[in-house]
Amino acid sequence: MTSKYLSNSALKTINRIGDMMIPKNGEFPAFSEVGGLEYIDEIVSYAPPADIKDLNLVLTILAFMPNFVLRWLLSKMENSMESTGPLAPIFRMLDVGLRGLVFSCYYTEKIPASYKGKKPLDIIGFDLTRVED
Amino acid sequence: MYDYIIIGTGPSGGNIAHNLFKAGANILVLEAGKLMTKKTFPRTEADTSARLYWGGGIEFDAEAKMGFLRTRVVGGTSIVNQCLLDRFDDIALNDWIDESGVKWFSQEHLAPFYDKVENKLSLHTFTPEDMNRNAQLFTQSCDKLGVKWGALRKGQNDCAHERGNDCMACLGGCHRDSKQSSYAGYLRDDIAEGLNLQTETEVTQIENNGDTVTVYALQQGKAVTFKAKNIILAGGAFGTTKMLMQSGFKKQLPALGKNFSTHPQFMSFGLFDEEINAYKGYFQTVASKDPNLRTKGYKLENVFAPPISAAMLFSRTGTYHQEIMRNYTRMTCIEVAVRDENAGEIKVDNKGKLTIDKPFTDQDKTRRDSGRELISNILTNEGAKKIYASSFAVGLHLMGGSVIGTDPKRSVVDPEFRVHGYNNMFVADSSIYPNAPGINPSLTIMALAQKLSEQLIGTTHDIKVSEQLGA
Ligand SMILES: Cc1cc2nc3c(=O)[nH]c(=O)nc-3n(C[C@H](O)[C@H](O)[C@H](O)COP(=O)(O)OP(=O)(O)OC[C@H]3O[C@@H](n4cnc5c(N)ncnc54)[C@H](O)[C@@H]3O)c2cc1C
Repeated sequence: MTSKYLSNSALKTINRIGDMMIPKNGEFPAFSEVGGLEYIDEIVSYAPPADIKDLNLVLTILAFMPNFVLRWLLSKMENSMESTGPLAPIFRMLDVGLRGLVFSCYYTEKIPASYKGKKPLDIIGFDLTRVED
Repeated sequence: MYDYIIIGTGPSGGNIAHNLFKAGANILVLEAGKLMTKKTFPRTEADTSARLYWGGGIEFDAEAKMGFLRTRVVGGTSIVNQCLLDRFDDIALNDWIDESGVKWFSQEHLAPFYDKVENKLSLHTFTPEDMNRNAQLFTQSCDKLGVKWGALRKGQNDCAHERGNDCMACLGGCHRDSKQSSYAGYLRDDIAEGLNLQTETEVTQIENNGDTVTVYALQQGKAVTFKAKNIILAGGAFGTTKMLMQSGFKKQLPALGKNFSTHPQFMSFGLFDEEINAYKGYFQTVASKDPNLRTKGYKLENVFAPPISAAMLFSRTGTYHQEIMRNYTRMTCIEVAVRDENAGEIKVDNKGKLTIDKPFTDQDKTRRDSGRELISNILTNEGAKKIYASSFAVGLHLMGGSVIGTDPKRSVVDPEFRVHGYNNMFVADSSIYPNAPGINPSLTIMALAQKLSEQLIGTTHDIKVSEQLGA
């Protein structure tokens, strides 16, 4: 799959990070298995252009990191809420930004037809009823 | 040349545009966002964040410890809000008098304006039959612990609750036009009747030329200019403050950007053995209504969050995350909303980007911690097996930045809603709030907008205001 806004290596990095955040586990499919990235442009296209540029840059840099470094970085980001120092706000922003992207592409009604397994929203039992006249 | 240009269509701009339109004024309404309707509002949580919110989702304070939510769409933030509409009490209004020096802040003075807004909108106070399991557990536990609670009042007319509609869907815009957003409540019919509204038009600068005002904007990326005798800024705390700053008013108005507050909210989720399905039905019907908590400076709200937001708030990553999400339907949730100090400041950097300083003061922390402790008691009291308390603060009520007051050194807008020193520039939106009321802000935003509308119609059209501006 390709994106109008994110480079191929950026997309690959999201899939790698996504699988670290949401690995295959029991009923839960791994992030990349679901294929939610198919719809990433529908989310990213509304972000300010400067933010998209920054995101591409960060993801391209992360693409060069081996898995163990990426894991270390993710845990640093996860625990950044109480951190101090000049890098702490950047870690926090990255944490929210990356988790936001991953969760948005996973806990969503928009799953490609090619995915045949149980959808994450069904696994957690989320079944919203909209009565529209 | 227009009589008025109104910038922004949230609770403030929507009310004022409606009143001036009905009074026959020659107006132009500008809105940065698109016009969406019950047919076109997003239908998924991810699309909602991306399409409706400024910044494509969330905006942060400079420390990235707090996230702010505000929307960019016709109807403003009222499109996504819960439309819980409360009048202010004496505590809030007296604190406003102390901070601003504006003497007319009182329940008595505001009553006729509140009345008109309440008569125009359709309101519903929740009954025990409306309450889902999350609310039942909250109220039961509050009763046992002696915490007073009350049913909430919401602007809505037909939510199809009896047919199983889940109101959580309307966090992305109400697909039934039931929720009384400023679009459904004020603007929808006016648009059909020919209201002059230009959407996807973001105002970048305002130039005051004495008798006239020139407004510069980008309309779908193209530069456009409009002129009017008067302008009304209704862009909300961030939008209005940013427009004034970008237009160079900070020099004359040193208080511009200051006194920002936001009622930071912290959610705690309780895990139960039974199925709760807290996202079902009316998912927010009750809150604490306890004079003791009011004095302590916080309130508790019985709420819930859709999956992506919940995942962001209370679960981290990996298998730990999955364990929690697996229990989504067995979770209840209560949040503490802190009546915070107005120590924040809204700034604009040299690239035109908003920067928000929002220190979380010691007093704010004490209030949050006290609230969290009480939530923990409420949840464990009813049998919660585990409690997950989110440390991420969310600011939904953005207030201040262009505050009202008598002293031009300490405020931006005078007691008649005029930007200090200018006869033809008005503000009556959330940016004028002098400090955090600790109460849902929208109804009072609309009441103040109603007051400004009547003031403007009274002076410029010489008509009997009360006859023209009824329900
Ligand atoms: C999820 C959520 C739930 C909430 N629930 C409640 C609730 O239950 N009760 C309550 O009282 N409050 C609630 N609020 C808060 C409430 O919605 C806001 O306080 C209120 O909408 C603010 O009104 P406003 O008119 O000042 O600004 P807004 O509603 O933010 O409207 C401002 C409008 O101006 C436009 N604008 C800004 N800048 C420009 C520009 N430069 N050019 C053109 N247009 C511009 C924006 O696009 C927007 O449409 C909630 C908020 C959120 C996010």
